[in-house]
Amino acid sequence: MTTAEIADKTGGAIAVDKPGAVVNYAYASDLLSDVMGHCGDESVLITIQNHLNTIAVCTLAGIEVIVICHGRPVPDDMAEAARREEVAIVTTPMSPYEASLALSELPPSKK
Amino acid sequence: MKFDLHIHSCLSPCASLEMSPGEIVARAVAAGMGGIAITDHNSAMNAPAMAVRARKAGLACLFGMEVQTAEEAHTLAIFDTPEQALAMTEWVYAAMPKRVNDPDTFGDQPILSADGDEDEIADLEWRILAMGCRRTIPETSAKAHELGGLYIAAHIDRPNFSVVSSLGSIPSAPDGTPYFDAVELSRTANADEWLPRAEGYAVTRSSDAHNLDDVARVWTEADIDGFTVAELKRAFAFRLTKPSPRITRF
Repeated sequence: MTTAEIADKTGGAIAVDKPGAVVNYAYASDLLSDVMGHCGDESVLITIQNHLNTIAVCTLAGIEVIVICHGRPVPDDMAEAARREEVAIVTTPMSPYEASLALSELPPSKK
Repeated sequence: MKFDLHIHSCLSPCASLEMSPGEIVARAVAAGMGGIAITDHNSAMNAPAMAVRARKAGLACLFGMEVQTAEEAHTLAIFDTPEQALAMTEWVYAAMPKRVNDPDTFGDQPILSADGDEDEIADLEWRILAMGCRRTIPETSAKAHELGGLYIAAHIDRPNFSVVSSLGSIPSAPDGTPYFDAVELSRTANADEWLPRAEGYAVTRSSDAHNLDDVARVWTEADIDGFTVAELKRAFAFRLTKPSPRITRF
């Protein structure tokens, strides 16, 4: 699934694009240590954590796309780090549950 | 006395490399602080260098760290001596992910030398300090107090990494015993909004400075006889602390 498809299915917008990003799995969590422990690569992360540290976790876990829920804004330092580390960010007005349902064709991400 | 209890040194990966102990001390003295605490993420490895610089400048200094707990809450453990703070560091390090820091991704983590008259890099911390540890708030509170320190809930008004944002409120033990000695407001927090949400705790305001210009931009004031853990504990117990005005413009 591409970033554009993720944005489309979640009724969201691409805040930071990563051309060519394709994800095959999905994971939803707001606890970054949990993401570190359980989310594998080629994944989209559905979260409310609109923070710089989320990008750091994505680089470690191999997460390609982040979906930020509840329309939370993407801070400048987070967007800058995402561009640098090549992680795409989609923002959606949906809750994490709604976004998970919208992306339900993706199988669960596992380590 | 005015004091700033939350200052990062260059050891914190997200802090500016200009945040050397010597420069931090100079800024704090110039800003009229009676005391400061150095609180890097999950580590007090720059406490020895800080102690030397502060002593030379005649500035009272406490030594601690900003522990990112298992709940992903930022909490300050603050001590009188570098030795206590380093004992706390050892305990936190034992529960950190064993991953090597990539300076290009997260930032550099220099440990400065406590010898000589200049700020010189002695070593680089290899662990990723930007991550949380597996210690919970109850465990961290017990350890900080066992080692003779203070335990403060950091920036409770912030939307990420505060006890309030992670847990919804300020936790206490099942028997009602508080885990925290005080709570901290960030530099921009509106006191009118947040004092009622402090749940009766003593309230501090600190800079959470990550660069030199932010050192002591906000502070806490209290009538205390010396800048020590015991005196701060007394000030907290009697709710004697008064947060400075917030910053409304950058």
